[in-house]
Amino acid sequence: MGTIITLDAHGEELMEQYRQLLPTLEKLNDEAYNQLKKSLDEQGIYVTAIEHRVKSEKSLAGKLELKGAKYKSIDDITDLVGLRIITFYSDDVDKVAVLAQRLFDIDWKESVDKRKLHELNSFGYNSLHYICRLKTGGPRFELQMRTALQHVWSTIEHDTGYKGDVKIPREYKRQFGRLAGMMELMDEEFSRLRLSITEYRRQTLSLVKSGQLDDVPLSRDSFRNYLETNPFDRLNRRIASVNQAEIYPVSMMSYLRVLEILGMETLGDIQRFIDENSEDAFQLAVAQLAITDIDILASNTALQYLCLVHVLKKGGGRDGLKKLYDTINGESETNTMLADLMYQQAATLPFMHKE
Amino acid sequence: MQTSILEQDGNMVAILEGRLDAVAAQETEKAMQPLCECEGKDIIIDCTHLEYISSAGLRIFLRILQNAQGKGQQVFIKNINDTVRAVFAMTGFINIFKLI
Repeated sequence: MGTIITLDAHGEELMEQYRQLLPTLEKLNDEAYNQLKKSLDEQGIYVTAIEHRVKSEKSLAGKLELKGAKYKSIDDITDLVGLRIITFYSDDVDKVAVLAQRLFDIDWKESVDKRKLHELNSFGYNSLHYICRLKTGGPRFELQMRTALQHVWSTIEHDTGYKGDVKIPREYKRQFGRLAGMMELMDEEFSRLRLSITEYRRQTLSLVKSGQLDDVPLSRDSFRNYLETNPFDRLNRRIASVNQAEIYPVSMMSYLRVLEILGMETLGDIQRFIDENSEDAFQLAVAQLAITDIDILASNTALQYLCLVHVLKKGGGRDGLKKLYDTINGESETNTMLADLMYQQAATLPFMHKE
Repeated sequence: MQTSILEQDGNMVAILEGRLDAVAAQETEKAMQPLCECEGKDIIIDCTHLEYISSAGLRIFLRILQNAQGKGQQVFIKNINDTVRAVFAMTGFINIFKLI
């Protein structure tokens, strides 16, 4: 059953102004949305949602009943038209804000960056609110910008916290605060992750740009640049996860000679060598490490297993492995033992039985 | 696990005997401390009688290597058996150390 709202004379007058303004508000709602959507598309900013609405009569009545005296005229109410942009990443909120500043006239006195309102030791509703006006004039409207995680948090908090019938105990409020803190950290981590991926792409692309990877000859310099893109990290982490091992950073430059002997001539050859052998290298590493309690691995581990698998797949057998170990470790008869051990282990794996 | 340290031909030599596992690691690292404190000498870790090495043992070797490299010293690992060699190989550390 709905609550009956009674407005005083001033409230009724504002409501009447609202009804007269409604067609203008509907147009504004569409126009502001269209301008934003077009601009986001042009700038290539992908967002999870753009919500937009004209405040309903019922919602306005509720507002006027509570604080109608605060408003002299309907123009003083700034959220009759409201838009909300929900972004994937926290740094996209700032991009959207810049875009909004270009598109609309911003009423800075009324706009709030709630992200900056928190005390140092508190977390909570993080959102950026702008009060805007179309460049062509007309009523003001509200634009909220927040990340998906901020949106989830504030929606749930609003749902459970502001029903008003019962005072929420301090411990529950604190729990909301803790969750908000966690969400803020997650937002930051997602942004950082995106940055790392972008950087990886940029570095690889610059190599590609300087010729395709296939056109970049394998040399000391090109291999060093290539290593900066951390091409073996993913496989290293996968192998390390078997024993929750620490990855100890070591230089991989000594493997340049190994790769040359294996016939790699370009960075493209190395990229294919990784793509084609990673799964089998992982299986071989697991076969060796899973039965041990070793929890530290050198960062060249993935590369070493890739080389071993490559030699075996090319039909190199025990002798091929011995030669490989001679190249990696220096020539020694003891490498025969390592080659035998590795060959026995590998013989049980599917890649050794493929035609 | 037994650890002895001596000076031989101008080098610092550590002789390890037994199993260098997680239980023995703390005591062994303490016993090998003179290797980290010495200056201007190369280091030889004699593993002729080392039967087994665990991750904890590898970490001791890595700390000694890191410390020595910072001071321009070299670290040699002497006479490792097949079991220890296999651990060095499967963890990728085999070509980080100079094996003699």
